[in-house]
This record gives sequence, C-alpha cells and structure tokens, in this order.
Amino acid sequence: MSDTTQTLPKAGKTLSGGRIDLLIAALLLAMAIAAPFVIESRYMMGQLILGLFWASVAVQWNLLFGYAGVFSLGQMAVFAVGGYATAMLAYYLDLNIFLAIAAGAVIATVFSALVGLACLRLQGVYVALLTYAIAQVIYLLIVTDTNCFEMVGTTCRQFTGGATGFARFGDFGMRAILKGDWIKGNYAIVLGCFVLSMLVSWIILHGPMGLAFKALRDNQAYAVARGINRFHTQLLVFGLSAFFTGMTGGLYATHFQAIGPGIFSISSLLFILAIAVVGGVGTFWGPVVGTIVLMVADELMREVGSFRSIGLGLIIAFAVVALPRGLVGRFSDIFHKHKS
Amino acid sequence: MINRRSLLRNSLASGAGLSLLAGMNASTANAADAEPIPIGAALPMSGTAAADGIEFKNGLDLAIEEINAVGGILGRPLELHIEDTAEMGADVVSQAMQRLIDRYGTPVIVNGYNYGTNMVEMDVAADSDVIFIHYNTLISHNNKFKEDPDRYYGSFQGDPPEYYYGPGLLSYLNGLIDSGQWEPANRKIALVASSVEYSIVIANAVREFADQYGWEISLYETVQFPTNQWGPTLAKIRQDEPAVIAVTHFLPQDLAAFMTQFIPQPTNSLVYMQYGPSLPAFKEIGGESVKGVVYSTVVGCLPDDFSEGFRTAYREKFGPTAAYLTGSQTYDGLWKWALSAAIAGGAGEPYDGDQARAVSASMNRLIYRGVNGICRFDPEGQSAYTFPAQTPDASLGMPHQFLQHQDLTQDPVLVAPPAYAKGSFILPPWMS
Repeated sequence: MSDTTQTLPKAGKTLSGGRIDLLIAALLLAMAIAAPFVIESRYMMGQLILGLFWASVAVQWNLLFGYAGVFSLGQMAVFAVGGYATAMLAYYLDLNIFLAIAAGAVIATVFSALVGLACLRLQGVYVALLTYAIAQVIYLLIVTDTNCFEMVGTTCRQFTGGATGFARFGDFGMRAILKGDWIKGNYAIVLGCFVLSMLVSWIILHGPMGLAFKALRDNQAYAVARGINRFHTQLLVFGLSAFFTGMTGGLYATHFQAIGPGIFSISSLLFILAIAVVGGVGTFWGPVVGTIVLMVADELMREVGSFRSIGLGLIIAFAVVALPRGLVGRFSDIFHKHKS
Repeated sequence: MINRRSLLRNSLASGAGLSLLAGMNASTANAADAEPIPIGAALPMSGTAAADGIEFKNGLDLAIEEINAVGGILGRPLELHIEDTAEMGADVVSQAMQRLIDRYGTPVIVNGYNYGTNMVEMDVAADSDVIFIHYNTLISHNNKFKEDPDRYYGSFQGDPPEYYYGPGLLSYLNGLIDSGQWEPANRKIALVASSVEYSIVIANAVREFADQYGWEISLYETVQFPTNQWGPTLAKIRQDEPAVIAVTHFLPQDLAAFMTQFIPQPTNSLVYMQYGPSLPAFKEIGGESVKGVVYSTVVGCLPDDFSEGFRTAYREKFGPTAAYLTGSQTYDGLWKWALSAAIAGGAGEPYDGDQARAVSASMNRLIYRGVNGICRFDPEGQSAYTFPAQTPDASLGMPHQFLQHQDLTQDPVLVAPPAYAKGSFILPPWMS
C-alpha cells in the first residue's frame, strides 16, 4: 500500500503511498489522542494500552518476517528480555524506571543481535526452530532457578525471580501525579513510544535499508549479487526490531508492575503471529489492523463464554484460508483492481 | 431452588451466618424488590485450571442462593458476574477484574486462584477501592500487603499462604515417626517442584526447614508446568531411594500420571503431594495406583458434621462428582464478606473508599467459622491464620489438613491434625 503511487477513486487525485500512510497515521493518531478524553472506563483504557503493546510487538515481528523474510519465533523472548532487564535494573540497582526501560531496550538489542548471529547460516523453518529453542532455554533457565539469592521477608528470592518473577520494582509515577487518572498518563507514555516505533519502522522501510531487507527476502542470491551484505543486513534487522520490542517489554513490565515467566508462553507468541496474519504480513499497517480486529472481536465475544476461543480461532483460520495477504493486503488488492 | 425453610433446616454449616444475616435483614425491604449488589469473580473458566474455575463458580452460586434466600445484604440480593481468566497471567487477570468493576460496578471481587499474576490484582482493588478476596495461597500476598497496608487495605487472602506447607509437612512427618505409625528407612526427602510460584515456594520452604526438623534433601528436581512425563524424575529418585517423595506440583492429572508411572517400580518411600489429590480427577485418572498417597491442604471443606449440610447441598446442586473441596473456598469467602458488609452497613460501591474501609475493618474483626474451618485474618499480612503452624489454638486458625487416599470408593481420610482427624495414617500398599 505504501510502495506505489495510488489513486483515490472518489477524489480523483493521485496520492503517493507515503501520503496515504501519512493520512492513515494522522487519522489513527487523532483517534488515539482523543481516546482518553472520551473514554471514562479504566478497563477500556487498559485494553487500549494492551493493544498498543501487542501491536508494537507485531509491527517489529512484521519487520523481521514480513519485510526481511526472517521467520523468527523468538519475538516474545526478546520482549521478555526487555521486560526482565527493566525490572532487574530497577529492582537491584534502583535505576530510574525510564532509564531502566531504555537500558532494557539496549540489552534486548544485544541479545537479539547474538541470536541473529547464531541464525546467520540458517534459513526458513530452521531459523524458527532455533529462535524458539533459544526462547525455551531462557524460559527454563528462569523457572528452574531455585537458588536463594536474597531473603524477602520470610521467603527467598532467586536472582532471575524464578517462577515468581518480579513485581513492585517501580512505575511511571503517574499515580502520584494524576491520582485516579493515572492510567491516562500511562497510556500517553505507551502511545508516545508506539508512535516512535512506528515512525522509525516507516523511515527504515522507506530507506535503502528497507529495500535491502525486501531484496534479501524476495531473492537472496540476486540481492547478494547486487552487493547487499547479508551478514550486516540480517544482524541489523534483528537488532532494530529488538530495540523497540525490548522497549515495549519494559513498558509492559512497568505498566503492570510485574513480569514473570508466563510471558514466554506459546499462547502469547501465537497471538502476536495471529495479529500479523489477520492484518497482513509484509504490510505496514497490517499489524495495527490485526490488533484492532482481534481485540475488538475478543471483546465482543466475551459474553459467549467458552465459544470465545473458538470464535477467535475461526477468525484466524478464515484469514489464513481466505485472506493470505491479510486484511490490509486484501484491501490493497481491491483498491488496485478498482483503480485499474 | 432453595427456600428459607429448607435452607435453615439443611445447612448446618452456614447456620450461624444465616441466622446472623437473617436477623440483620429482618427490618429491611424484600430482597427481590431491591437493586441487586453485583458480585465479581475473575476465574479460570477455560484453560488448564478450568476444572477448578467451575468449582469456584459453583461455590459462589451456592453462597449467593443461600444469602439471597435470607434477604441478601440488608435487603439487597446478590448477583454474580464472571470474567474468564483462561490461562491467567498479570495482564489478563488485572484486566478481567477492571472489567468487572467498570462494567458491573462490583464492590467486591471473590476469586479462586489465578497464577502468574505477581499479585497485581491487589493494585486493581486498591486503585478502585473494592474488596478483593482470593485463594491464590501465596506468601507474596503477605509481602505485598506489608509494603503498604494502607493502600492494600481491601485485599484479603482467604486461606493461609503456601509457605506454611513447608514446616507443616515436616512437622507431620515427625509426628508420624514419633507416634510409631511409620519407620522411615532414612531421613531423605526427594523434592519435586514444578515451575510455578506456588510449587517452588512450598519446595523452598521444605528445603529451608528440613535441617531444623532433622531431614536431608537428597534431590531437588524442577519440572515444567504442566507435565505428565515423569520418567527422568523417577529415574533420579530410584537411584537414591528417599524416605519421602514430596511432589509440590499441583495439577491432578499430572500427579495421577506420576503415580501410574511410579507404581510399576516403586521405591520404599512415602509419597506426599500437593492439592491435586483432593480433586476427583486425581482418583479417576490414577485409579488403584493412587491408593496410599498422602496430601495436604491449608484450605478445604472439613469432613465434619458442621459442613455436612454444605457438602450435601453442593452435591445435590452440582452433581455427585462435584469437588466441594474447591467450591468451599469461594463459598466461605463470599459468606464472610456478606456478613462483614451487613455489619458495616452495606456493600458500598467502587471508588467509595470510606465504605470499603468499613467493610474491610469488619472483615478483620469477624472470626468466621466456615466449612473450611476458622477464617481469622492475620493483621500482618491479611491472610487467614493457619493452625497449628501459626497458632496453637484450633479455634483461631484454619486447619492445615493432611489426608490420605485409603479406600477409593470413599472420600480421602483426614488423618491430621488430631483435633479434626477422622482416621489414622495407614502404610501405602507399595511400602514394606
């Protein structure tokens, strides 16, 4: 949608992909900014924040898989590393929470780059297997850490938090400033970081780096023959996607004031993949649309009890069968067909 | 449908509460005409803990039916609203609770357990000034409460923390030896924990106190949660036979699988397990292999005359295989809150801090004898006191019950503490 010059049929004017993106971004941003002024429910604000977290992780995974063609299943591990690093730095070193989040993002980047190095000689499903295996190893190292690192009251705490994880290591400070409206303050911080991650992703994708990602995805041999360094490019995409994923992990941990090994669960990872699949893998707005669709559908199906999971499963199955390029891809196809 | 007469006749367990509540309701309007009080519950109705989630809901349904039959709370009937927490976790559970508060205006949320939450539920309750009662059975509740008692005034753990399973088990084992009921081959314990907070904290507490009670931990094995592949763990146990195998993992189907894989080549060890054997699925899946297993729980319906009415009513309403041991938790929790709210002059509503604090104070003052025993809150951590590890007075703490599967056609036998015991420990069939 953002790579070609397109015509809006009704207006009859030609708009570049960049301008359409700008238009969509302005519309979504206006809605996002207006949300805290029109939504009174703390629950709904919480859902919006949760949506921003999942959208952010899905956007970064989309960068990795949708644009660079690296099928990584270690995305939630990177997210967890960011969250854990933030929590541990704030807990053990009493670091300011915003500095801890930034440091957590850097640590996640280093971690992801190392994973990227390990994956350099692999392709396709083997990358998926290795990245998933690494995520599971970290999970097991954490949950099997039972050695007492320090005593907290009458119980011992493991260095990694063990099966318990970390809690009460700090927050955004919004409760002290905004009292009952603290969640709106948290929302503003999370939204700001999400906008930043989208902006950086857009800039990368529309620059030479983005073209290199896509070239390697579409025809690796040809791309290498044209002078694209696979080693540097793959390392770069692992690192770039990890910075914002790790930052989101830190924001998640701080917002909920808790992070535990449950975040490594396969269900969280599958939800992120489902978001990208429903919205459209390899499309800029796909993860955002996927998040909106799945979260709204989940909300609407809350009243149907056990059919909720079945309903979500059907939506994902439908998207895989009927919308191989996701909702955004489908919309884009219709748009182009109508134009021609 | 329960009417007032049949209720008063049959339910010995809640008799005192019923009379008290009925008395307080005497001067108020008919419950059916008044605006209902919404009661919230964030329960795992789907996913791995769904069996327990359903029982937690059953306990609430029964309590609500009984409370409404005597006029609700000061003339207002109760109405239950459930949010499914599925696979649980901090984000899911806190959002589920917030939804109950925002959508239904619940002044109280009575959960069973949700794991992986790091007790973030307490923040939701504190931010919204609602009363929150749960059965997570975690010492982290107490630790968090201690950090800021004024903020977490409304959060109550209806049972004692898991930490007390540690000294409780060791004390029970020594009691068996001292009374001549069992002669262990050695003083070794093999600890098998799964990778969740509840299980790890119990295993660590056993390890922490083992030396003090004259025991040695010969194996400390952590397995994935959930798991049913026990081969590697059993191989390690068989290499160095311990006197006791203590499995602190708690899912009934996994524990039953442990026994079916243990029995073909057993060791001369007493097998102790956590919580899961109290559920019907353990016996159904494990069959004959579970005979002789000892387990304990710091919360569960007592097999005494006092709770007979509850047990009968529960199985009549929810079927003969319904696990009243689980449903009894939320049942007692809601009853204690209902009485406290009536004493405090009403349930209040979210963001009404004054009334919520009045109800909280009332809950702390009220020593309630429920079907699980005594619920009296420890002011240091706002969890129920445990007997005998925390208080030597059986009338002031919830009994830490030790039970054994002896006759599979009957319910497990309560073998300790002596004040409540209905039978004696017998040597399991695989032990010489």
